[in-house]
Amino acid sequence: MKKRFFLLALPAIGALFSLPVAAQTYAITNARIVTVSGAPIENGTVVVRDGLIESVGANAKAPADAQIFNGSGLTVYPGFIDALTSVGMAAAPARTPGAGGQAAAATAAATAAPTNSNYPNGLQPEQTAAEMLKAGEAQFETNRNAGFTTVVTVGRDGIFNGQSAIINLAGETVSEMVVKSPFAEHISFNTVRGGQYPSSLLGTFSALKQMMLDAQRLQEMQKMYAANPVGMRRPAEDKSLQALIPVLNREVPIVFNANREIEIIRALDLAKQFNLRAIIAGGQEAHKVADRLKAQNVPVLLSLNFPKRTAAASPEADAESLDVLRLRAETPKAAARLQQAGVKFAFQSGGATNVNDFYTNAGMAVENGLAKDAAIRAMTLGAAEILGVENRTGSIEKGKIANLTVVRGDILGKEKTITHVFVDGKLFEQKERPRPAAGSGNNAPSGGTTPANPAAPTAPTAPAIAQVGGNYSITVEVPGQPVAGTLALVQQAAILSGSMQTQLGTSQIKDGKVTAEGFTFSTTVDFGGSTIEIFVKGTVTGNQISGTIDSPQGAVPFSGTKNP
Amino acid sequence: MKKLTILCLIILILTAISNVSVSAQTARNEVLIRNATVMTAARGTLTETDILIQNGKIARIGKDLKAAANAQIIDATGKFVTPGIIDAHSHTMLDAINEISSSVTSMTNVRDVLNPTDVSIYRALAGGVTTANLLHGSANPIGGQNTVVRYKFGRPVEEFVFPGAPMGIKFALGENPKRIGANPQPGQTPRYPITRMGTMEVIRDAFLRARDYKQSWDEYRAKVAKKDKTAVPPRRNLELEPMVEILEGKRLVHAHGYRSDEHLNLLLIADEFGFKVATLQHALEAYKIAPEIAKRGTGASVFADSWSYKLEAYDSIPYNAAMLWKAGVLVSINSDSDERARRLNLDAAKTMKYGGVPEEEALKMITFNAAKQLGIEKQTGSIEEKKDADIVIWSAHPFSVYAHPEMTMIEGVTYFDRAKDIQKRGDLAREREMLEKMDINKAPGTGGTAPRIPSEKRIEERDEADRTDGGNRR
Repeated sequence: MKKRFFLLALPAIGALFSLPVAAQTYAITNARIVTVSGAPIENGTVVVRDGLIESVGANAKAPADAQIFNGSGLTVYPGFIDALTSVGMAAAPARTPGAGGQAAAATAAATAAPTNSNYPNGLQPEQTAAEMLKAGEAQFETNRNAGFTTVVTVGRDGIFNGQSAIINLAGETVSEMVVKSPFAEHISFNTVRGGQYPSSLLGTFSALKQMMLDAQRLQEMQKMYAANPVGMRRPAEDKSLQALIPVLNREVPIVFNANREIEIIRALDLAKQFNLRAIIAGGQEAHKVADRLKAQNVPVLLSLNFPKRTAAASPEADAESLDVLRLRAETPKAAARLQQAGVKFAFQSGGATNVNDFYTNAGMAVENGLAKDAAIRAMTLGAAEILGVENRTGSIEKGKIANLTVVRGDILGKEKTITHVFVDGKLFEQKERPRPAAGSGNNAPSGGTTPANPAAPTAPTAPAIAQVGGNYSITVEVPGQPVAGTLALVQQAAILSGSMQTQLGTSQIKDGKVTAEGFTFSTTVDFGGSTIEIFVKGTVTGNQISGTIDSPQGAVPFSGTKNP
Repeated sequence: MKKLTILCLIILILTAISNVSVSAQTARNEVLIRNATVMTAARGTLTETDILIQNGKIARIGKDLKAAANAQIIDATGKFVTPGIIDAHSHTMLDAINEISSSVTSMTNVRDVLNPTDVSIYRALAGGVTTANLLHGSANPIGGQNTVVRYKFGRPVEEFVFPGAPMGIKFALGENPKRIGANPQPGQTPRYPITRMGTMEVIRDAFLRARDYKQSWDEYRAKVAKKDKTAVPPRRNLELEPMVEILEGKRLVHAHGYRSDEHLNLLLIADEFGFKVATLQHALEAYKIAPEIAKRGTGASVFADSWSYKLEAYDSIPYNAAMLWKAGVLVSINSDSDERARRLNLDAAKTMKYGGVPEEEALKMITFNAAKQLGIEKQTGSIEEKKDADIVIWSAHPFSVYAHPEMTMIEGVTYFDRAKDIQKRGDLAREREMLEKMDINKAPGTGGTAPRIPSEKRIEERDEADRTDGGNRR
């Protein structure tokens, strides 16, 4: 019970963080310092000045002008890195903006793909996360408050998800936030929307191969033309193909989203065919291909979004397949097996709906055989190495970016509090949460916009409730045929009402509930002449909404953004 | 926690055991099958005969053969041995079947979407199938490139691909490609063609484009040969490259179709462009044009007795295979279905019932003839010395409804063993029990998403193009 309460309360901690303090020099004294680059310092000092780590060590001195924190009982880690997110990315524009009225149309226009590509949306590798990123504090708060200072971010739509950026989670402008852009080109084995080619996995591979060949040719033509333009037609400009040239030249790595063994093999085959610098993201079954990953020197951005059973028990339901049961049992062992095989890996949140699953499941990987320091490495310096920013961040060393996460308790254990987060030397401090007295609890909503109200006593086990109300443009990822729609959610405390609109019509929300984890509701839609019941489960993080829609035809994910 | 660790350990050991069986066997190099009735599919039926397998090949066939001391000895007294069955039309182990977006999708290749963990592979092995021609679906006049595989279930995907099998491609005529165009899925725009004549035009147009493409490369190569430094290589076109390979006779065409008129039309297009159609697939009315097919050396791969399941199948008759055989056409019988693939032996037997095909010729229709149609007859398809040991041991005469495969081997390695399978069921049940007890596999106490209620029936047809026309086959 206690464990449960603690986990549920974690999102609420965000409310207690204050905005960055103006002072530029800080010293954390008497703290345990996990530098990652060297041995941990059991009792030492870290000095932060002007965004960088000025000094670190058992004997480091706190300067006179520094604001000093007594770190007694605290552990200082390098700021944690989430090696793949979509933080700050808008979802793909809805295909039927009419459904959401002018606001949705405006959103769609704002996020619409850049024009004059010769390729359909979904096959535009030139799209860059850094250009689409929205700066501002609010949307990074959840992740930062959970202890992350740095993330890789890129959209999730299309076959080419686009070029990712490595960003620090603080800054009023995008240029302040970006650590490296582009980091990599990202590919998902998706299809293109609206029935265009490629509309199946078969076409996805042939389209990718044709584009790679075309990009190779474009580069050759450009070289020929540069050498001697006389008597040769100029090669046509093509910004989509142009964006693939650095990938083909191995200057920019390419991240393949692949979880199953066979998907990883397909990615490795493609990488081999075109001599690409591949990285696997997801990697649930990567340990089954460890030998090949090692041989091709391919690192893994390993998802900590472990599969778990969500379906209720029912005597009428089919028994779950052995494959599914095995996968859930095996996935937490993947990290240890990769470590053993000598495959480089970094942890990523894998689109988990609860940001704190990251630490819980990293802890589970440790329970399943991963060395604890290897787990910490996979969210700090190990990640920075794969991202190619290990000379700037990922460890606590003099001269590196002052990205620090200060923790009371064991970060991989069950009892933990993030007390301070430094991003680029900016301090985000959590006022220590008062220990709940009997009969009172923390009911602060997540998102950190509403202050906690200690005057409202609730039972100690009462979880904080998520705030999910609002209008959202969503995309339901029906395989091969994504469906656009809108969700109008009206929240009154833990009760959810409103409506859902898709091309199948508008339907009213029934049995809507909001918990600390997110929301659930059921509704009915008319499909193929009959009325079917669907069950929707989701979460809201910042302005992002995501979850699954379960129907007799199976479960499909959906995601989207809040309309302003 | 400790209990959990022990559970995990046991599971690990169990999975290790089940995975080891196939890999351990690959090392074994000698197998002796003793005293079987051997139906060779090439040289008649041999009684009380031994087969010696060395390094995956059939080394000797004869009586009282001797094997090395460490050889695996299988007593097949009272049992029947046939070549491994070859399914000349299958969509098993494909993660995608139709690239529906375009009428010409020759750039796609099912090799990219093979899934070696598909349980249907194992079920096919249990029905004696060792080799299959994995085809793109029938949604497009010109579909994707095919892959011939052997069902080496448990081995890495690249080992499935049949070494040296000629390249091929799927074509489709009739209702499926035109209906896909005329009745698009929600959200899709109608697609050309929507008539049978349109289908023919799409095919002819693709070959005309391929001709031009080939010419552009020929011209470029000529320039390069003349050391012309201004020569600019044409763009590689993955759609037209396979079409050029057809024109050059390097790629086999497997053409789905039902009606004889349009299959004949395709043969005429092939005549016009100077290539040979390798097989007419399904070819329900092929008996009407048997001489025309035989004359061109084209094969026919048919169903044994499916008819009237849709309008264009009304003229299908169970005597089709027998009539084609009598006319000298190379005939095979295929499944086009994960489910029917498990009992192709009975489909072959039906040709004896309908039309009186001799026993060996009937067996060839699911073995040697299919191998010839796929261009792999030098390696597999019959039990002859020096060929690959792709072999099925049956409990009874394979054309009996009571027969079932006891062992299915590919290159001398056992991929299905009925006795071991029965033994393993207990292990799997225990593994399941343990896995279900783990916290991670337990249903949420309250709430949770709705459970998946089993659908009424398993979808038998994988090819969506077949599925959407108001009824599966049958």
